[in-house]
Amino acid sequence: MFSSINSRAIVPVACAVTGFVIACCVLLYTFVKDDLIKGEIQHAADLSDTVIKSTRYAMLHDDRETLSNIISSIGEQNQVEHVRIFNKKGLIMFSPDSQEVNQFIDKSAAGCTECHAGAEPKRSLGTMAKARQFTNSSGNDVLAITAPIYNEAECSNAACHFHDAGQSLLGTLDIGVSQDPLKRTLGQLKNRMIMFSGMILVLTVGAVCALLYRQVFLPIKLLTDFTESSESDSLGTDLPEVSGEIAQLAKAFQKMTNRVQELESQLQSKDDVSPPNLRS
Amino acid sequence: MSQVGPQPDVQQAPGREDLRRRIEERIRRLERASGNGLWSMVLFLSVSFVAFDGFSIFPDLSNDARRMLGTPPSGQMISLALVVYAFSGIVRTLARMSRNIKPYQGLMHVAFFTAFYTFYQLSGVLQDNFWAVFFAGISVMGLENYYLWAHSNEAIRKERALLKSMWEGDER
Repeated sequence: MFSSINSRAIVPVACAVTGFVIACCVLLYTFVKDDLIKGEIQHAADLSDTVIKSTRYAMLHDDRETLSNIISSIGEQNQVEHVRIFNKKGLIMFSPDSQEVNQFIDKSAAGCTECHAGAEPKRSLGTMAKARQFTNSSGNDVLAITAPIYNEAECSNAACHFHDAGQSLLGTLDIGVSQDPLKRTLGQLKNRMIMFSGMILVLTVGAVCALLYRQVFLPIKLLTDFTESSESDSLGTDLPEVSGEIAQLAKAFQKMTNRVQELESQLQSKDDVSPPNLRS
Repeated sequence: MSQVGPQPDVQQAPGREDLRRRIEERIRRLERASGNGLWSMVLFLSVSFVAFDGFSIFPDLSNDARRMLGTPPSGQMISLALVVYAFSGIVRTLARMSRNIKPYQGLMHVAFFTAFYTFYQLSGVLQDNFWAVFFAGISVMGLENYYLWAHSNEAIRKERALLKSMWEGDER
């Protein structure tokens, strides 16, 4: 396999370049995927903040009907897989899915354990820690954000409520968005990167092969043909169409052969002259 | 004076025999070195096979052990280190090839790529980055082993030519 100069020069370079480009593409894809997922989490966190701010007025006025309508409207959106508000005890108070209402959340489930893992629940979480990814019962990939609804001065001072000022957390909003658009984008990115890497590989390896062939292998082949083709002992006068070091080598070959031929003819002429003397 | 004549021949024969033995030993050593490259590749593929499954043949690391090891580096830091390592590995091998410096036998690369698999596993992102480590390893170790194989073969060819010339000298 590696007997010819072509394969010995091209195959290792092609393999090393191919492997390195593939490795870099996988890493680049992972980087981009991480960035996109982080962006999606930030987007979902912003959405949960918007929902909390939109429902704030209804909560302050204890307007449960408006609150329920807002939650139902949000739940009807295409990308929203679920949205629910549950109280501090984990009882679901509002959800577009009427079967969920008045059910308790499992505190050991994903999304709850981030705060409830220890004996004392955590008061706050970073944006990334609020997010979880899972596949729901419908088989859809979901990115969910669990956002706490904190007690504020207006809440504890409101006449209609019984929340005291010492209570830090009033409830939690849990909103899940579909990951299908993200998956589609990642799929397109993957296909484009495969095509792009393929083109880079073909161009790189092709360029190396073409340059090596034109600059090295072809002149060597012409030189080999030049040295082997002559039927007589001399190399002929027509040098192959090569330049640089290969042309110098061809000239040196030609010079050497001519010199050998010259020496041979000198010896021959000496032999032709000497026999009569020897015979005498 | 009569004892002086045969002495050089007596001394020369063991000397030549010793040289021949040394050449044969060198050939065997080079053949072993060439084979070592293949073994290091097999070792890397075996490690990759285990890593592909998320090192499931090993028990999970306990929380105490994780706490003792400390916070793992981020996936992006490991990826950056992997790119730098693979790039420098290829460049160093190509530089050694161009200057005809003796290659190493690839075992160090196996250790480093195993470490990359382990770090990714500890950071929980091995599944995403497995193929990056695999292809980086294949390219670096493939090039290294190709050079080891070509270098050893060239050296073996020279040693055999030397051996052959010695045999021809003996026959004359």
